[in-house]
Amino acid sequence: MIDKTTRKKITVTVNGTVYEREVNVRTLLSDFLRRELGLTGTHVGCEQGVCGACTILVDGQAVRSCLLLAVQADNRSITTIEGIGTPDHLHPIQEAFWENHGLQCGFCTPGFVISVYEFLKENPDPSDEEIREALSGNLCRCTGYQGIIKSVKAAAEKLKQSELAG
Amino acid sequence: MVTVKKGLGVSLKRKEDIRLLTGNGQFTDDIEKPGMLHLAIVRSPHAHARIVNIDASKAKKLPGVVAVLTGEEALQYSGPLVPTINIFNKVPEVYAIAYKKVRYVGEPVAVIAAEDRYIAEDAVDLIEVEYEVLPAVVTIEDALEPKALLYEEWGDNKQLESRTTIGDIDDAFANSEYVFEETITHNRYTGTPMESRVCIAEYNPGSKKMTVTCSTQAPSQVRTLIAQTLQMPEHNIRVIAPDVGGGYGTKLQANAEIIACIMARMLGKPVKWTEDRVENILTGVHSRDYTCTVKIGFDKDFRITGLQAKLIGNIGVDGTCHAPGTPALSVAGAYFPGPYKVPVYDVEIIGVVSNKAPYGAHRGYGKDIANYPIERMMDIAARKLGISPEELRRRNFIKKDEFPYQQISGPLYDSGDFDKLMDLVMDKIDYQNFKKKQLELRKQGKYIGLGIAAMLEPSGAAVFNGIFNGYQAATVRMTPEGHFQVLTSHQNIGQGVETTIPQVVSQVMDVDIDDIRFVYGDTDITPYGLGPFSSRGATYTVSAVYEAAKMLKEKLLKIAGYLLKEDPENLEMANGTVRVKGTTNPEAAISLKEIGNKVYLWPGPYATVPEGIDCNLEATYTWTSKVVKWEPDEHGRVNLYTTHPTGVFVALVEVDIKTGLVKVDKFVVSHDCGTIINPMIADGQIAGGIAHGIGGVLLEDLAYDSNGLMTNPDFQHYLCPTAMDVSDIETIHMQSPSPFTPLGTKGMGEGGTIPSPAAVANAVEDALSPFGVIVKDLPITPERVLEWIKQGEMQNVKS
Repeated sequence: MIDKTTRKKITVTVNGTVYEREVNVRTLLSDFLRRELGLTGTHVGCEQGVCGACTILVDGQAVRSCLLLAVQADNRSITTIEGIGTPDHLHPIQEAFWENHGLQCGFCTPGFVISVYEFLKENPDPSDEEIREALSGNLCRCTGYQGIIKSVKAAAEKLKQSELAG
Repeated sequence: MVTVKKGLGVSLKRKEDIRLLTGNGQFTDDIEKPGMLHLAIVRSPHAHARIVNIDASKAKKLPGVVAVLTGEEALQYSGPLVPTINIFNKVPEVYAIAYKKVRYVGEPVAVIAAEDRYIAEDAVDLIEVEYEVLPAVVTIEDALEPKALLYEEWGDNKQLESRTTIGDIDDAFANSEYVFEETITHNRYTGTPMESRVCIAEYNPGSKKMTVTCSTQAPSQVRTLIAQTLQMPEHNIRVIAPDVGGGYGTKLQANAEIIACIMARMLGKPVKWTEDRVENILTGVHSRDYTCTVKIGFDKDFRITGLQAKLIGNIGVDGTCHAPGTPALSVAGAYFPGPYKVPVYDVEIIGVVSNKAPYGAHRGYGKDIANYPIERMMDIAARKLGISPEELRRRNFIKKDEFPYQQISGPLYDSGDFDKLMDLVMDKIDYQNFKKKQLELRKQGKYIGLGIAAMLEPSGAAVFNGIFNGYQAATVRMTPEGHFQVLTSHQNIGQGVETTIPQVVSQVMDVDIDDIRFVYGDTDITPYGLGPFSSRGATYTVSAVYEAAKMLKEKLLKIAGYLLKEDPENLEMANGTVRVKGTTNPEAAISLKEIGNKVYLWPGPYATVPEGIDCNLEATYTWTSKVVKWEPDEHGRVNLYTTHPTGVFVALVEVDIKTGLVKVDKFVVSHDCGTIINPMIADGQIAGGIAHGIGGVLLEDLAYDSNGLMTNPDFQHYLCPTAMDVSDIETIHMQSPSPFTPLGTKGMGEGGTIPSPAAVANAVEDALSPFGVIVKDLPITPERVLEWIKQGEMQNVKS
């Protein structure tokens, strides 16, 4: 029988590193990443899948890590904000956010960067309206979204350029 | 080519962004301590009830639960919550954990410490609390009736009551050509920073030292509140605030934080409390929630002859000890005249307590309450007078050459030019063309509207008798390698101070901002001072930093003069060196690094500093405002604010009359906050503020039922604006430097929020003018719009 004390072994790849861990079956994936693996860049803003601060990529797809259990990540590949770019080598999306004031307090930012990462892969040349719609699952209380929308446009441009160059 | 990043008025990229963009920020909940316990709070399901009995026996038996504490047991460790602010109001006796009585849904009743948060939350369900339910006071009417008394010892439910009359208001109205009166209401809403509150408390029973790491805007002030509430020596308390995920005024108190401190003291182990989103929305702090009756007279030229306002705010359980909210109503009382010349003024303010969550600060702090009813009234009056809302405002604006302007209600306005602001915004939107387009679209069944609201943003409140005072201390220090640290208690909450404060120092020292670090967020390190509230940064903190930097510069020039054998008067700072003015001769210059090295390291202070100068390359300056006036005059008037940004905001909306949905198409803003430090950051503040305004007027509503139960305490039901709801925003700046700050800067974090609800409401009325719609209760939901259209149509049929 499974109850709230049951523990289960999982194997999960996060930002390219394979982790084997035994977790309590009711541990949220967001808590697992933050507390167990110390990847605190993934933030928790509502624990009900509305605010998008905890967005990560699971097998390339943007999902809310507060709505998944750690055991559901077994044998999956996860990318968190720590796997997108580094301080010395920002990803073009991160660069664009820096250059266009796409963040203020920065708490919602990792979730936005991940959502935009997935969005621009699917739609590399979005209209303003498409950008707004793509961002509508992430809440930001600081920026009024102006800087973020500008950042997404700039990021799309940067990614196109780097594709041309590469 | 390497560009040197320095100076004011430059949109330098933010220094804080790299860590925040890469997941390297550190917020309080990211911090773990060895042996740390996790807290969960048992909260009242009733709005108003006596606590009869609490049975924690089942919870204590749950494996992993370490301790349970009730309000009564907590009295061993803590006194009542002390006032954060206390001016002309009653102060209730209230506790961090409820004692004897609960007064709002969500009030803490007991606290659990457990090995992890999951177990702590399991234990919440095992605590059995017996209540004797009392009648709930929910509305202003309930409070005034009174349906019940929240604090029996008061005899009524009024926390604040005041009246100020300047001139003979009856006489003014009797002699007016036109007099209009309206009652205007505003919904209750709040800031909901994306990071809710979090607090880690550690107590060392050996050293008796308490270390509190928390998500707060105000580390020094929180330290004082903790010391006073826990009755602990303040020098033994250290408050650390790491990265803070937004505040907007909602993180200026210590109430639940006190619970963490009590548990740490009791257990001698680190404890962490992480507020979840439901707790955050349920327990506040909340704002607005008022009704305001405005009466205004005009002469035959449409100039204001008299203004009367009666404001009744629903404070909820308290706005003094739980959080600093109640005086926001008094601020409104001082600022109803806003940008206008008012010859006779009468204002009455009542703040009633109710069984809703505490009242606190949230972007606006009463300046929004002053703005919304008046800017709505200007449009309503203009319509009745048959002139344009633009013209009615222009006729009554304070003129450019009248600044500094002594407003009738007490404040002294520093600088501004409302007519120019109106010109800038009107030129941009092409008003005549808009009106033409509006008529054409109506024929196609499309309803667009334009709403104007003028804005005055008093910034940098200096309030007596509380922790929101009128000073700021800053230390600027040079390191041995010639770089700088700036220390103040002005917390970074997202407003860009890790960049703008170095910009101020770079202006004085002529060095790159990468060579300057802003140090904050630790009361053991920074001078005692005040955090960001009341948009005070560019008024107080910037001025303190600027003056401290100038003091240090003077010292450095004297030392350099001694080393270079030059008169310090002939020296200047340039690109990290001190040199003879205008020279390029390397012999006549000395780098800051060399000065730092010589003074600190070699060959010692006895050889490198001139007589009368010590070898500490550090200067501290405490800035206070020269215009704050606390001594009330015969009418009780004071002046608490030093600077006043100004603006004119225009909202363009479209209303779908079939669905009732209001879409904001665009905001066009003219804005004047004096000298701008970083234009990109200023634009960001305005945009963020407008989003809060749009949220408040269209979406956000803390809804209570008649039993005092909040019906929407989560993000699925409490609707914050998304990227689909906030329109494009175009901002045009002008700069009228403040004569009251050394750099002419003015704090400007709230200006976006203050006028945007009125601009949107006015635009909705303009769009729906064919139906004679009057915007009444907020927020302007589709249901309400459809109802107003229906009412308007019925009215049209009758007439």
